[in-house]
Amino acid sequence: MRSGGWLFLVVSWGIIFGLTAFCFVKVFSKKEIK
Amino acid sequence: MSQVNKRDRWGSRLGIIMAVAGSAIGLGNFLRFPAKAASNGGGAFMIPYFVSLFLLGIPLMWIEWTLGRYGGGFGHGTAPGIFHSIWKKNRFIKYFGIIGIFGPLVIFIYYTYIESWALAYSFFALIGKYSKLADQASMQAFLSGFQGLSKNQYFQGMGLAYLFFLVTFFINVRVIYYGIKGGIEKLCKWAMPLLFIFGMVLMIRVMTLGTPDMARPDWNISNGFGFLWNPDFSALKSAKVWLEAAGQIFFTLSVGIGVILTYASYLSKGDDVVLSGLTAAGTNEAAEIILGSSIIIPAAFVFFGPVDIQSIARSGVFNLGFVTMPLVLNKLPLAEMFGFIWFFLLFLAGVTSSVSLAQPAVAFLEDEFNIGRKKAVWIFGIIAFILCQPVVFFLKNGVVDELDFWGGTFFLVLFATIETLLFGWIFGMEPAWDEIHKGADMRVPKIYKFIIKYITPVFLFLILGMWFWQEWLPIIFMKNISSGNKPFILGTRLGLVLIFLVLAVMVKIAWRKKRIGTEKTR
Repeated sequence: MRSGGWLFLVVSWGIIFGLTAFCFVKVFSKKEIK
Repeated sequence: MSQVNKRDRWGSRLGIIMAVAGSAIGLGNFLRFPAKAASNGGGAFMIPYFVSLFLLGIPLMWIEWTLGRYGGGFGHGTAPGIFHSIWKKNRFIKYFGIIGIFGPLVIFIYYTYIESWALAYSFFALIGKYSKLADQASMQAFLSGFQGLSKNQYFQGMGLAYLFFLVTFFINVRVIYYGIKGGIEKLCKWAMPLLFIFGMVLMIRVMTLGTPDMARPDWNISNGFGFLWNPDFSALKSAKVWLEAAGQIFFTLSVGIGVILTYASYLSKGDDVVLSGLTAAGTNEAAEIILGSSIIIPAAFVFFGPVDIQSIARSGVFNLGFVTMPLVLNKLPLAEMFGFIWFFLLFLAGVTSSVSLAQPAVAFLEDEFNIGRKKAVWIFGIIAFILCQPVVFFLKNGVVDELDFWGGTFFLVLFATIETLLFGWIFGMEPAWDEIHKGADMRVPKIYKFIIKYITPVFLFLILGMWFWQEWLPIIFMKNISSGNKPFILGTRLGLVLIFLVLAVMVKIAWRKKRIGTEKTR
């Protein structure tokens, strides 16, 4: 794989992993549904 | 209010997030996405993909969660009632909402059958029924024999396919019979983590493939990932690539179907939709971008090489999942186990989606006709079972493709456009903004006020227009249908019109009953 491929893989995975982790951390620290 | 109080509720916040994510994560995450990315610019495909995610997918997700919760407050769990709650003065808008019941029902009747193939293949993997097959032709023959498209040494009829269809159909009906909290939520809370575990097992197995054939050093896993991720920036000049990315985002998030509306209608008024919606979207994207990109295409590259992978990537979703992948897994030690994991993963992705597709029709009967859940599920089960039969028996005549076009493509984009316009323009952006933030655990960035009102609808109109001229017109006029199959396609269309009309009559009856009821109480 070329360096451009690695760059796109790392950035794409990073965005999604970051977004999902951020959301779940917030979900578990907030209130439950009523 | 008594009607509202009677409605089912989610048991936990994680429950609805897993259920919406389960609805969104389907076969497409593991089969459609990697094939589309590899054929449309590799890593560069991710640029239009992320643009579509943030301008189209996530706004639509928030719109549907908000509309669903809003309608649920009036005792409506499906689009006719929800649309009517938004635009009370318009007596026709509820009929546009029929799409939100019709679409999922149509998808359900063919999706359940495809889902049953995954269940059957996971069983075949365990007993080693296809373990001796080593080339595309014999694996293709195995699949068509199983589907009843041809009689061969593997299958003499479609009895086994029908048996697995019955089992799958029964599982689906059983889950919805137990309701939102006792059925769907329970299923998704164990099925989704299991799906992710299975996905990670396969991902790690594929990543550790190395270079299995030392005589072909280029056929290695690094180049396999390179085939999918190396960017080809020239692809970005093509409008088709941008359209493919927008389409992938649209289909992967389960927006425009009506399912999220129904699921969110079981929330209370003060429950957050902003963070929950974003979490469900993020979970779906993790399954797609991280797991989906790491399994089938890199693995197929390692075993079939840089030349054959080009045609494999374009060979279609069924071929990738049910022909290429079992061939790849057959070449590994513990092939039976990995084969089971792959197909059971597809089954889990399928069943968590199909139960969500059944729910709008059941909710419609419950909410608008005051029918109890169990009776509503019985009615739904009998009708859906009858509707599934043409799919099973006329598979070779193109019935599935036809249903997929109308239920899974055409009406989806149309429905999303209608609900976006209703939300941003009829409901109005200021009240809509307040409604989104009721009970919200995070603020939506202000730029989304502009995006939801202007960018998302324009994006949707563009998609509608481009697809209509480029792809849909030939399908509508049956340009590529053989003359032998035309009667079946026409019959399917007639059936779809009939389903739509029956739903329209039901909406009319339900509203007339409500009007009479209101007049009596005055």
